Amino acid sequence: MSIGAVSIGAASSVRRDLILGGVLIALAILVPLLTGTRYIVTQTTLFFIWAIVVTQWNLVLGVGGIFSLAQMALFAVGAYATAMLGYYFHMPMVLAMLLAGIATVLVSVLIGLACLRLRGPYVALLTLAVAQVMYLLVANDTECFTNPESGCMPLFGGIRGFTRFGDLGFRALFGSKFYVGHYYVGLGLLALATAFSVAIIRGPAGLAFQALRDNPGYAVSRGISRFKYQLWVFGLSAFFTGLAGAFYAVNFAAVGPIVFSISVLLFLLSMIVVGGIGTVWGPLLGAALLMLADEAMREVGDWRDIGLGLILAGFVVLLPKGLAGLRLSWGRRPSQAPGDIPGA
Amino acid sequence: MSALLSLVRIGAGYGANEVLRGVSLDVAEGSLTAIIGPNGHGKTTLLRAISGLVPLTAGAISFAGRPLMTLRPDEIVAAGIVHVPQGDLLFPEMSVIDNLQMGAYLPDAAKQMRARLDEVFALLPKLKERRSQIASTLSGGERRMVGIGRGLMAGGRLLMLDEPSLGLAPILIDQIYDVIWELTRAGRTILVVEENAARIADKAAQVALLDNGQFAWTGQGAELMARPKILETYLGA
Amino acid sequence: MDVLIQIIASGLTLGAMYAVSTIGLALVYGSLNMLNMAHGALLALGGYVCWYAMATLGLHPLLGVAAAMIVCGAVGLVIYCAAAQPMLGSANFETQIFIATIGIGAIIENVILRLFGPQPTPQPLNLTGALVIGNVHIPHQNLLILGVALGLMAALALLLRHSRLGRAIRATAQNREAAQLMGVRVGFVYAQVLALSGALAAISGIMISSLSGLLPNMGGDPMLKAFIICVVAGLGNVYGAVAAAIVLGLLEAATQYVLGVRYSFAILLLLVIAVLIWRPYGLFGRKQVVRL
Repeated sequence: MSIGAVSIGAASSVRRDLILGGVLIALAILVPLLTGTRYIVTQTTLFFIWAIVVTQWNLVLGVGGIFSLAQMALFAVGAYATAMLGYYFHMPMVLAMLLAGIATVLVSVLIGLACLRLRGPYVALLTLAVAQVMYLLVANDTECFTNPESGCMPLFGGIRGFTRFGDLGFRALFGSKFYVGHYYVGLGLLALATAFSVAIIRGPAGLAFQALRDNPGYAVSRGISRFKYQLWVFGLSAFFTGLAGAFYAVNFAAVGPIVFSISVLLFLLSMIVVGGIGTVWGPLLGAALLMLADEAMREVGDWRDIGLGLILAGFVVLLPKGLAGLRLSWGRRPSQAPGDIPGA
Repeated sequence: MSALLSLVRIGAGYGANEVLRGVSLDVAEGSLTAIIGPNGHGKTTLLRAISGLVPLTAGAISFAGRPLMTLRPDEIVAAGIVHVPQGDLLFPEMSVIDNLQMGAYLPDAAKQMRARLDEVFALLPKLKERRSQIASTLSGGERRMVGIGRGLMAGGRLLMLDEPSLGLAPILIDQIYDVIWELTRAGRTILVVEENAARIADKAAQVALLDNGQFAWTGQGAELMARPKILETYLGA
Repeated sequence: MDVLIQIIASGLTLGAMYAVSTIGLALVYGSLNMLNMAHGALLALGGYVCWYAMATLGLHPLLGVAAAMIVCGAVGLVIYCAAAQPMLGSANFETQIFIATIGIGAIIENVILRLFGPQPTPQPLNLTGALVIGNVHIPHQNLLILGVALGLMAALALLLRHSRLGRAIRATAQNREAAQLMGVRVGFVYAQVLALSGALAAISGIMISSLSGLLPNMGGDPMLKAFIICVVAGLGNVYGAVAAAIVLGLLEAATQYVLGVRYSFAILLLLVIAVLIWRPYGLFGRKQVVRL
């Protein structure tokens, strides 16, 4: 694999990414200005939040090859940390969000140290179990840590969760149009998260992981330690995941154990599978499509999870590389350029 | 007399990697055929294509007049083709006798279980000694014998052996080949794949040299031994 | 002392229930390299079918159990045909089937939710009364569960050791290609293993729900625990999984008594992580071989 060819291939991909990203950001900036509907703006903000989580999860799953199901738990850590910092310490939200992101990184490093030395299925099961245990500890807590007028409040909020822990100040600034402020914050975070994602996939780390996948023996003999690289990816991607959780908390001004639910995990997993694991734009495509599908299924609320299950199973069996993978297999000629790292 | 096994211009490979191209071969009943050639050129793929483990991309295989291409590996075994694979592929957690009994899994073979076991033990007495030993603890030579014994338990009209001498010390190779000559004398149809032509060529009725996925030379064993140039070119012998 | 006996009795019951589930999971993983994440949903399905058969159709308990086993076995078969078989050859099979079965599990659970509603329902297959020895009360239901589990495990051991199907399963798990070359129709073996695993899940689900009631999502935690048990034993090792199930059942009972129900899963998880740091392939694991 010649380094020259690789960097040329990577550079042109990065240029494509920047152009595509620029166009999408420009479009996104226009949305609240063009539409008056609050619903569209707030739903798109939610899309931003899920998109951040999914792009980071994609790094873990698709690039790092770590089969982790703890992503939602990390998201929850970010959300809960923000809420608790605001609730117990009355910390301003911007600072709380930042600290929450860092806290999430720490938690993810702990989880990584425990789980990453294991093989695929073990990691999946263990991370799922960690997420479930966290949920149980939070939701089943009935001991009152504090006792305000609103009633008994367990340490982690118990089954009711946290409300009224602070906000970003947009209500004071924009009054009833505060959600527009949230929209742009969300867009900004997504742009940063995607830039980070691109940097990892197209950069030296992405190459290292490609090497680990294609020829593990050789990669290891060249000094690429799978464990170290995986821990880095796992930890760094947790920062934006936690930040997404923090923003979720601030945006909805409420946090509860619902963030741990299987429903949400299913939803996000579907996004990744539909979009395509391991690609740069696949997860975003998947997130957009699933949000739209969710809208469509809103009428048939009861069937939502069944619908998601069908989408998930159907796509894995019939279209395992996702939609981004479809484009990849058309565009690729039999003799592949050595620099072709998976990327749409 | 028509051949027992007939390969007509078959092609086979792994995904985009085409290993065999336009390979044709006839194996007569009761004969010993040897397929030789350098490693990595398709000898194992050829046997796996016959036994159904690798699908054909082109051509046809017929056995006793019956086309094999649409059959599953287990159906091909039932039709009478027994493949003793390279590397033995024993059941590691089972004992020697359990492995042998698995050889007679199909109902027709299972009916003759007792008789066949006795035959195999007579031919390979070491196995009788170690009948209760777990397969993963056996030595290389013993494993090879279990593999061949397992193949014999299945009966079958065509016995295919993939590199029976691989990785064995010369004295063990002698023992293995004594068994093979014994079987040939008893009239069994045998197809052997070997990298080393010397052992097998002069006894084989037919030798085929597989080079780069195609037969570069076929003919009688004695003929090949009389042409050292061919041996040199392809096998560096 | 009485407390200790009580804990051991509950622990063995829990262990027995998990063991039945775990065997199914270990068989499926050992043969197909497949982590069946729909197993939890099958647990719930078995419990509900039995309840429906007994409470609504008025059938005899044995028929209820049989119905549950048949339905769940059939669903297992469908999972094989629709999801596992089409993807068997692919390089990422383990990951893909994991995700696909998560989806299938969600479908099954939500169908149950739609059909039977979200309210908890008691399982009618429940013996009343208890065995009283001095100060120790062992409910008859627990003894039944223990008995059934032991009987089931003995039957399975016989099946695997001495039956033709059992030998085919072991051979396929130990070396699939060699099994094919012996004339084993591996596709059939896989289908039967999944059906068997479904039937075992049904029984496990009936037992668990007899103690804690029926809920559409009741299968999630037991499935996770059963998987953790398999992982601790070493994925694919059936006897090891049974042993680990009993040990973990005892541990869970002990932790529940000392610290309360809330922390038992957490402690279990910490222990499992500790074990895996010490032995990454599980206590008895070496590779994906079904050690029977």
